[in-house]
Amino acid sequence: MSFLSKVSVRSPWLYRINAGSCNGCDVELATTALIPRYDVERLGCQYCGTPKHADIVLITGPLTARIKDKVLQVYQEIPDPKVTIAVGICPISGGVFRDSYAIEGPIDKYIDVDVNIPGCPPRPQAILEGIAMAIEIWKQRL
Amino acid sequence: MMLEVMNTLILKAVLAPLVLFPVAAAVLVFGLLLKGVDRIVVARLQRRVGPPLLQPFFDILKLMSKQSMVPIGAPRTLFLALPMIGACSMCLAIALVPIVGVYEPNGQFGDLIVLLYLLTVPAIVLMLAGSASGSTFGAIGFSREMSLMLAYEGPLLLVLISVAMKTGLAQGDLITFSLMDIVHYQQDNGSFLFDPWMWPAVLAYLSIIPANLGIPPFDIPEAESEVLEGPLCEYSGPALALFKIMSTMKTMVVLALGIVMFIPGNATGMMALIGFVFKCLILFLLTKSLLRASVGRMRIDQAFLFYFKWPELLGIVGLLLVVFKG
Ligand code: SF4
Repeated sequence: MSFLSKVSVRSPWLYRINAGSCNGCDVELATTALIPRYDVERLGCQYCGTPKHADIVLITGPLTARIKDKVLQVYQEIPDPKVTIAVGICPISGGVFRDSYAIEGPIDKYIDVDVNIPGCPPRPQAILEGIAMAIEIWKQRL
Repeated sequence: MMLEVMNTLILKAVLAPLVLFPVAAAVLVFGLLLKGVDRIVVARLQRRVGPPLLQPFFDILKLMSKQSMVPIGAPRTLFLALPMIGACSMCLAIALVPIVGVYEPNGQFGDLIVLLYLLTVPAIVLMLAGSASGSTFGAIGFSREMSLMLAYEGPLLLVLISVAMKTGLAQGDLITFSLMDIVHYQQDNGSFLFDPWMWPAVLAYLSIIPANLGIPPFDIPEAESEVLEGPLCEYSGPALALFKIMSTMKTMVVLALGIVMFIPGNATGMMALIGFVFKCLILFLLTKSLLRASVGRMRIDQAFLFYFKWPELLGIVGLLLVVFKG
């Protein structure tokens, strides 16, 4: 592993994609994972506003039919190497929305998911652990 | 292949001036360390653990190893040249600011006026970058950056003129723009910071710093939760790293300029260096970390009005005091 990639591992930037979630998982991500008790910044993470800056993608929601194309388009814009995390039971299996006519998920039909964080919504500790696992995977891709 | 060439080109463009001019490199390292301190302080104020001290270095090195994407429809050359122009302008600017007792610039290179022009380059680069990227968010960032710049340039000019006139009047000319003259005058007659007649100017300068550097509550052009980092929206990889370097250098230029104008001190050698670091740290914590940890973001119209009312007023009062009190 080169010096550059050794250092890079310590600065993964996170980007959230909401693929039609009920907002429960987003609240967990936006607040719980970043408030005093559960600080992801100590892993060097930072939430970034645009897909162009992202290293680790957190996808929430069951991928509704209306939003599918947009999600795939945004996902395309994220520069490589990237790691994908599915947050909540929704993107993994459809969760409470499974078999609905309005959803196109599960998400791994369209996108290679690297880490699943199950839960409805997942606990903040689980999210942190998922991000730590994603960093490990990212290390191998660099 | 193309990408590889581009990345090495950009890297060389950054490294060449830094190697030629070690002061800029040292200042850059110091600036990044300050940024690390800032992130830890803010985290501690919010009762978090915070990132490691070297986090800004990691971020920049990480960006160097990523792809640099150019959006379809954007003018490729301009899009990639802008960050280089920005970073280089700030390397030049830092060469003009004396670090008292450690580094004295050659007066022939330029004075306060050149510095004032150089200081506006990053804002203009950001504006151009926003519009060149062809993205809507970039365009919004462009317009916000422009209104903010209009608002803070006025008071900034007033402050610089107050300081220049104060020195100039005392030396018999009307006004002097040489930074070394300003430093020497203060070394002989006491720092402006301890002169009550200069306090309006000091306050005005302090209140300009957050808008000039894009610190909350005035980080409106780059609000990541509203306009996706505005002008930086479409940038990635080394080009984005250059923007980070540019903003770090700009922080250092603005801090160093504040120190030169108001409290240069008399020390030389090692003591001067320690003093400089100490003053930078205090000024930085005061105008960045504390502010960032404690306030939200203003709307652009509120920020605009704020700058037109208070810093402008302080600047005018400061200038009048200088003119009439000498
Ligand atoms: S997993 Fe549960 S909380 Fe999360 S988006 Fe789906 S329904 Fe909402």
